[in-house]
Amino acid sequence: MTTTIRHLLAGAAALTLLAGAAGAQSITIAIGSEPSTLDPQLRDDGGERQVNDNIYETLMARTPEGELEPGLATEARQIDETTWEFDLREGVTFHNGEPFDADAVVASVERIIDPANNSEQMAYFGTIDGAEKVDDLTVRITTTGPDPILPSRMYWMKMVPPGHATDGDIGAEPVGTGPYRFGDWSRGESITLERNPDYWGEEPEVETATYRFVGEAGTRLSGLMAGEFDIITNLLPEFTQTAPKFAAVDGLETSVFVLGTDNEVVSNPKVREALNLAIDREAMVQALFQGYASIAQGHHVNPAAFGFNADLESYPYDPERARALIEEAGATGATIDVVGESGRWLKDREQIEAVAGYWAETGLVPNVQIQEFSQYLDSLMGDGPRPDSIFIANSNELLDADREASFIYHMDGAAASNSDAEMATMIDEARVTTDPEARQDLYDQVFAKGHDLNYTVPLFNLQDIYGMSERMEWQPRTDAKLLIKEMGVTE
Amino acid sequence: MAAFLLRRLIQGGLVVLGVTFTVFVVTRIFGNPVDLMLPLSASPEQRAAFASELGLDRPLPVQFVQFAGELLRFDFGESTWQRRPAMEVVLERLPNSLLLIGAGLGLAIVLSLPAGILAAQRPGGILDRIVTGLSLVGLSMPQFWVGLLLIVLFAVTIPLLPTSGMGSPAHLVLPAVTLALVPFARLTLLVRSQMMEELNKPYIRTALARGLPHRRVLVGHALRNALIPFLTLAGWELVLALAGYTVVVETVFAWPGMGLVAIQALQRGDLFLVQAIVYVVAVLIVLVNILLDLVFKLVDPRIGLG
Repeated sequence: MTTTIRHLLAGAAALTLLAGAAGAQSITIAIGSEPSTLDPQLRDDGGERQVNDNIYETLMARTPEGELEPGLATEARQIDETTWEFDLREGVTFHNGEPFDADAVVASVERIIDPANNSEQMAYFGTIDGAEKVDDLTVRITTTGPDPILPSRMYWMKMVPPGHATDGDIGAEPVGTGPYRFGDWSRGESITLERNPDYWGEEPEVETATYRFVGEAGTRLSGLMAGEFDIITNLLPEFTQTAPKFAAVDGLETSVFVLGTDNEVVSNPKVREALNLAIDREAMVQALFQGYASIAQGHHVNPAAFGFNADLESYPYDPERARALIEEAGATGATIDVVGESGRWLKDREQIEAVAGYWAETGLVPNVQIQEFSQYLDSLMGDGPRPDSIFIANSNELLDADREASFIYHMDGAAASNSDAEMATMIDEARVTTDPEARQDLYDQVFAKGHDLNYTVPLFNLQDIYGMSERMEWQPRTDAKLLIKEMGVTE
Repeated sequence: MAAFLLRRLIQGGLVVLGVTFTVFVVTRIFGNPVDLMLPLSASPEQRAAFASELGLDRPLPVQFVQFAGELLRFDFGESTWQRRPAMEVVLERLPNSLLLIGAGLGLAIVLSLPAGILAAQRPGGILDRIVTGLSLVGLSMPQFWVGLLLIVLFAVTIPLLPTSGMGSPAHLVLPAVTLALVPFARLTLLVRSQMMEELNKPYIRTALARGLPHRRVLVGHALRNALIPFLTLAGWELVLALAGYTVVVETVFAWPGMGLVAIQALQRGDLFLVQAIVYVVAVLIVLVNILLDLVFKLVDPRIGLG
């Protein structure tokens, strides 16, 4: 009897496998949140990108390691300080048959910078003045000032078909040039994409991909283990042993404390040095992230980004020296405000509390303030007094150090807490320097100075972890894009 | 009857208006919605432009007058998060919520009546102990944990049901059971104690002594009297569920209901969507209450529709 049942079960399992093989070209991806719209030019939303990155394409692309490479443009060159020219790929059409040409690029640029559209992505495109057609396959993009990172910006701007963008419902029915075209969106449940048979590039392996929206990490993992999903995003470090397969890659986010260098206690360079030396980052990587985080190398710039200073090293852990420095500075017993939030970034509260614990051992008295998010934003970017220290996980989608430098190191930056005019001048200069070597040199100086004067307390470059089913073959990308064309299925 | 309905509908309308206006004021006074709607990297100019586009930079009374005008035309504005009419988002999710609540509470009501009656037959007996024990377990386990436990048991270890999402009747089973657990426990304990009380009353003993069949006494007399508190509590459970207490179940099972949308709308400072949700929920709760009054009257004709 038992044998019969076992045979039956084996037969059933074999059948399931066969069925699986027949549908091997279909995969299911569970992401954390449903896109609010599939208009590719409106939101700054990870869920939307995870879907649209497969439907739409950009003038510039990146290799999985983050190197800029040609996309819909075959070449980019600078004409003068404020003008870039792009040669466009020939014979590319949108999924609805509209041609991809200079007119489409001009329309895409103009649509995104149109104030009436109020695009959240203007944070990336604020320097763009306009676009003009040179001929059908050549287009020029002008900027309001010199902008060396325009090609990086164009890696972020999705090209839309002018006709459909004006007359169609582009928010519900996306139409791009990409390797996958839109299939179906059942709101609240799933989005399905199909392989684009007319794709200009190499034909991808996966035929159809279904996205499911599962907010709860435990449920995503259960779905993976039950065989319902092939890829799940944001696998928690503690679940890596449970998942059938997983892959981790350095992500875009770096956590850091910005120090209020004009504040009473923290203005003393010895105190700031002590704050950096007091933290056992290695222990935190193991305890909080099970090893799935890298220690930031003395500054909070992403190692894959242009401008990263490869000569800097992470601060060592030296609690005795930290205590001695605090004593020398006469700051023993002084209070230091530690401001942060909770729930926005992976293990944010845990990081804040652990760091405050290390700081307490130096003789300082940390005053941890976990704030409600809009109050926190006000502390981070408002006009009020700068906090002694404030936590942020900085994300760099453009993979260029201008973001870190302008936002946190430049004295006029929204989240900056210093008044270093010399550093600000260097950052301003780097922003308009078009020679890559000279620009790298400026950033090297900026970040070396920030490191030596301890303007910030850099913590970790967090890794993105994906759970995968046994049959999935995929290496995640540094830029966190989920590109189905890079995925494969064994069987 | 007609006069009763008219009066209750007018009262209900006032309640809905009061709730809607309260939400309007509260969402605008506490916190800055624009901060929540725009990404961290948005510039102060972008923030100001967005605030002015939404009319949030105008004085509160001016905003209020406009809001009241739009409300009269049933125009709830556009969800800033989804960029489509707020009411469209709500009406898309409402059926999913009603399905989940219907299945969950239906299950709780249908099972709690026999469970409670059986338990009351022999207080302290083995059946009573099982039912009471189960109810206490149901009450004390966090819904979140029960949900994940059921997924691991019935979708991963024994792959009978899907882990999450909706689309087939099978998808409804685990979320409905999880949602049913707490109301089932509360209702069962109530039926049990009510029945025990009724069964000890002299009229029951008299009826039994006169030789009336046991079942008729139980259902026709004791249960009928126990039904009023039962319906009151069931109504309360329904109101709770409608008010968004399903959000934990929706999160665990990725069920696209209203509770989840309400939380997301709040997190993203989507005032217009929050207002539309609150309005619809308030209307539903008022209707449920009117319906309950009518059912009470049906069960116990002595209750006046006053």
